[in-house]
Amino acid sequence: MATFRLQGSKVLAVDLSGDAVRAKNGSMVAYEGDMAFKKMSGGGEGLRGMVTRRLTGEQLEVMEVRGQGVCYFADRASDITLLALHGDKLNVEASNLLCSDGSLRTGTTFTGLRGGATGTGLFTTTVEGSGQVAIMSDGPAVVLRVTPRFPLAVDPGAYVAHQGNLRQTFQSGVTFRTLLGEGGGEAFQIRFEGDGLVYVQPSERNTVGGDV
Amino acid sequence: MPFREINSKMVEATVAPGQRMFSQRGAMLAYTGDVTFTPNTAGGQGGVMAMLGRRAAGEAAPLMTVEGSGTVLFGHGGHHVQVIRLSGETLYVEADRLLAFDGTLEQGTMFMGSQGGVMGMVRGQVTGQGLFTTTLKGHGAVAVMAHGGVIELPIAPGRPVHVDPQAYVAHHGDVRNKLSTALGWRDMVGRGSGEAFQLELSGSGAVYVQASEEKL
Repeated sequence: MATFRLQGSKVLAVDLSGDAVRAKNGSMVAYEGDMAFKKMSGGGEGLRGMVTRRLTGEQLEVMEVRGQGVCYFADRASDITLLALHGDKLNVEASNLLCSDGSLRTGTTFTGLRGGATGTGLFTTTVEGSGQVAIMSDGPAVVLRVTPRFPLAVDPGAYVAHQGNLRQTFQSGVTFRTLLGEGGGEAFQIRFEGDGLVYVQPSERNTVGGDV
Repeated sequence: MPFREINSKMVEATVAPGQRMFSQRGAMLAYTGDVTFTPNTAGGQGGVMAMLGRRAAGEAAPLMTVEGSGTVLFGHGGHHVQVIRLSGETLYVEADRLLAFDGTLEQGTMFMGSQGGVMGMVRGQVTGQGLFTTTLKGHGAVAVMAHGGVIELPIAPGRPVHVDPQAYVAHHGDVRNKLSTALGWRDMVGRGSGEAFQLELSGSGAVYVQASEEKL
C-alpha cells in the first residue's frame, strides 16, 4: 500500500511500489523513479458516477498516479493534513482533497442547504474504505472532536472535511437585526451532532453567510 | 556573509566593512547600523560582457548593492525564503527569485537552450521562465524566494528527479536538465492529467522545489 508522509507542512511525499494513488489534477511537483499519470473523473466510477458528475457539477478533477518511487504533491502552497480511514467515510469538499489511496472509493453526496451557503455547491465528495488521505486547507487545519454531549457549530467558509458518524444540520442565526443590516457576519453555521471529527481551516471562503 | 533565518519569510544579513552583498531592489525591510544601498543598473558584476549577456538575455533583475556595517532584514512579497549555502558549486536560479546573495559569488547567465538542444528551448517556453537563467558560483550564501515552502531533493547518478516546470525553483551541482513529455493524444483533446511536461534533472546535485505551481 502507498505510504503518505509530510515533507514540511505543504508538500506530500508518497512512496509507491507499483500501486496507485488518486490526486488532484496537476498537483504533482516532482518525482523520483517511474511514474505514469492518467486523468480520471470524479463523482465515482462507472455510468452512475458520470451521471452524478453531470448533474452535480462536483468537478473533482483527479488523476491516477501509478508507479515505483517517490512522488511529491503540493497545491498553491496549501497546508496539508494526513488522515487515515479504517472502513469509515470521509466527507470533504472537492477543492480540499489532494490525494487518496488508490484502494479508496470516491463518490458524491448531496449536502442539502449547506452547500448553497458555503459557496462550494450543493454536493460534496466522499471517500470510503481503508487507507490514507491527504486533505488541503488554507492555513493549518485543526481537528475538532464531536461527541453526543458536545455538538459543534462551524462557519461554512471554514469547514474543510468531516469523518465519523455525524449528522449535519444547517442553522441560521438570522434575526430581526440581520434584516436591518445589523448582522454580525455570522448568520449561518453548520451544526454537527453525533460522534466524529471535523476539520476546520483558519480561513474563510467567501460565503453568502459572511455578508449578512 | 551569513544569513540568519528570522522566520520562514525573513532573513537577516550582517554587513561588514569591505564586504558587499547584492539584493533585489526594494527587498530591504529594515536595517541597523550604517548601511548604504546603491541601485545597480548593471545588475551585478562580471564585466561588460557579462552585463551585455544579461541585457540580451533579459535576465537583469533590478539589483542593489548593500555595503557598510550593520545588519539588514530582507523579505519580499510575503514569499517563503530559503537560504542555500554554496561551497564551490554553481547554483542555477531564475533572476526574479533571487532575494539577496553574497557579493563574493560570481554571477553569470546561462543559456538553457544549450542544455538539451531544442528541448531546452521548449523548456523555456513551457515554463514561462525564458531561455536564460542566472548562475551564481563560489563560496557563500544565497537567499531565494518561493511560493510556499521549499523542499530539497537530492539528485544522484541513476536517480534522476522529475519536476513540474512551474514548481521548479533552483538547482545546483553537475546536473543536466531536459524536458520530458508525457504528451499523449488525450492531452491534445484536453483530457490530460495536467502533468504533460516534466523537467528531468539527472547527474549529481540537488533541486529545490516549491510547494506550489504558482510563479512569483
